[in-house]
Amino acid sequence: MSEEKIIEIKNLEYIYMQHTPLEHQALSGINMEVNRGECIAIIGHTGSGKSTLIQHLNGLMQPQKGKIIVDGEDLSDSNVDLKALRRKVGLVFQNPESQIFEHLIGDEVAYGPFKLGLPLNEVRKRVKWAMEMVGLSFNEMKDRPTYALSGGQKRKVALAGVLALKPEILVLDEPTAGLDPYSKNELLEKIKKLNREEKITVIFISHNLEEVSFLAHRLYVLANGKNLVDGTPNDLFSNKEILEKYKIGTPDSVDILYKLKDAGFSINPRLFDVSCVAAQIFSILSTYQRRVTDDISV
Amino acid sequence: MEKGLSVRRIVIAGVLGAIAILLGVSRLGYIPVPTPAGNATIMHVPAIIGGIIEGPIVGLIIGLIFGVSSFLDATVPLFKDPLVSIFPRLFIGVIAFFVYFGFKRFNEYVAIGAAGFVGSMTNTILVLGMAVIRGYFTLSVALGVAIANGIPEAIVALIVTLAIVTSWKKIGGSIKKKSKISEDI
Amino acid sequence: MTSRFELTRNITIGQYIPTGSVIHQFEASLKLLSFAILVVGIAICSSYTGNLILLAFSIALFGIARIPIHYGISGIKPALPFMIILSLMQLLFYGQAAQGETTLFQFGFILITTSSVQLVIVSAMRFIEIILVSSVLTLSTSTTEMTHGLEHLLKPLKYIKFPVYEFSLIITIAIRFVPTFAMEMEKLMKAQASRGAEFGTGKWWQIVRKTKDTFPLIIPLFSSAMERAEDLILAMESRCYTPGLKRTSYRQYKIALRDFLLLIITTLFSIFIVFYKFTY
Repeated sequence: MSEEKIIEIKNLEYIYMQHTPLEHQALSGINMEVNRGECIAIIGHTGSGKSTLIQHLNGLMQPQKGKIIVDGEDLSDSNVDLKALRRKVGLVFQNPESQIFEHLIGDEVAYGPFKLGLPLNEVRKRVKWAMEMVGLSFNEMKDRPTYALSGGQKRKVALAGVLALKPEILVLDEPTAGLDPYSKNELLEKIKKLNREEKITVIFISHNLEEVSFLAHRLYVLANGKNLVDGTPNDLFSNKEILEKYKIGTPDSVDILYKLKDAGFSINPRLFDVSCVAAQIFSILSTYQRRVTDDISV
Repeated sequence: MEKGLSVRRIVIAGVLGAIAILLGVSRLGYIPVPTPAGNATIMHVPAIIGGIIEGPIVGLIIGLIFGVSSFLDATVPLFKDPLVSIFPRLFIGVIAFFVYFGFKRFNEYVAIGAAGFVGSMTNTILVLGMAVIRGYFTLSVALGVAIANGIPEAIVALIVTLAIVTSWKKIGGSIKKKSKISEDI
Repeated sequence: MTSRFELTRNITIGQYIPTGSVIHQFEASLKLLSFAILVVGIAICSSYTGNLILLAFSIALFGIARIPIHYGISGIKPALPFMIILSLMQLLFYGQAAQGETTLFQFGFILITTSSVQLVIVSAMRFIEIILVSSVLTLSTSTTEMTHGLEHLLKPLKYIKFPVYEFSLIITIAIRFVPTFAMEMEKLMKAQASRGAEFGTGKWWQIVRKTKDTFPLIIPLFSSAMERAEDLILAMESRCYTPGLKRTSYRQYKIALRDFLLLIITTLFSIFIVFYKFTY
């Protein structure tokens, strides 16, 4: 991860249906910075403006007020090359499997690259890479019909369809919503790999705090169209005041640690990874047991 | 084929009717191809599809919904006449069904495509015929429009109907066995 | 650019403005019937005076319904270019149809007579009247009332075995799903644009290619419609919906004296407009 800023958002505001009786302010001053190679989570309640925000990142929406700079390019400029921008910023919508329209998986994934006008060889290479990245075997799956897939596999195909554009920034809106636990974990692993190994900058929306602490380097908390607080999952989740103040909710593992702390045990709430929590509980148990054995021996 | 309105037919007629309305009120219903009108409409395709998959009654009802919505939504005086905008639309899905039914024994794909083409031509011919009878167009103008507008529109309808119905019936795979990127170069 | 994808927000199907006026309170089936009679009257009336009266009447309806007139005008605006083109065509090419009239202008095949001028002016007025009257109807009647009204009107058809209840259920489903599908479509347009889709590319003669450009939208739209249909079928069947059974309704719609009065007055008014011999 470098310190080079790839996305900068300053005082971004957006009002739906401006100048009508149904006017609705979705964003009211978003400030955000993302470094190249970072993995950023955005959390917030329904209606906090998350989806509106991410649609600004690839130019589906243009800033009404404020600024967005993506890789040095100001998106409020009306001359911005949207096609190039959308190639650079891959946006995966919620339930992206509903956008599949080709009969065959290979064609579906190849749709984007073909639209870029790439030569067949290059398209093939990209499709192969994208499919392998999400865990679909190119040789086995490319000629299979899309309708015969399970929900989790369909989502992988949709994700591959965006990856085949070779984006530098990948933006995902609730990537694991509605998946079974197995597919969920599998998908999270793939996204992590894309970020950590392929060095793709990742921004994702999530309601699942475990997911956030597993993937994200940093997170932003949104409410009423503003970003309230940001920091590493470690900083935020271990700070009970912040969690309560911004009604973020707590990951189950953090909850357990705080309950133990309230009960008088010495624990470190910063170590809330499942394995660390287990280790902490073990150490409590072992000291407790020692004390009990000591008591008996006395 | 079972008669009357089953739950399935009620729901499918409703849902496809909704799409017909939506295609009418949004610009998605127009495909910019060379016609005197500047674009071909696919707003009548839901009626064709309804006829193909659920029979003539469903096709007729979707046609009616399409007709009424095009009547209410009309910006051209020609279509503010219910005899032009509603009546001809009743036949789109019905005729599409009979064409499909007739060709089905021969070949499923041909049947679907033919239903799309003929259903679309039904729309063009009846609407223009009505326009002539009601005195909006002269016969020669109508004939010109029928050829210049009707045929591209029927080709568009054929392609769209075929694509949608095969993807619904999940029989698309048997058209194409290999994806475009399958072959080595 | 910003509003390119916001199509749900531009769709005004079922827009209803509850002001509680008399027009809002009329029972829907007789209101619909009165509307239909009025439209027939408008369609037949071809005199200047008659249409002036009708135009004044349509504008007055907005006042009675307490609906701002700009809702009606916004319906006319998009139609203006078409109206002008059509009027010009009628003016230039319909002269021949009315011979024996006073010729106002003649040049080559162009022949303008008093009756072709009247045809042009009257059809434009007619068109505006119908837009205004139908806006008042849809703005003052909720979609639920509308389908109920339709159901009532169609009831006599039951004697010829026409499935009235089922039919109005279909209409209800159709209206109910338009906003849903509009949102779905907005999302699809954005999602496919994010993958590099461009709508309306290719040269103008490439019909097949232009048609295929719409596949990324049309195919998922229809398949999501089909999925929703399957869910709804399942939900209705598991609640024992059986077509053809008699159903009671949650809300009762009563027809009052004033509803009949509305019908009678509208009918008399339409007859007057159509049959009275106006001088102009």
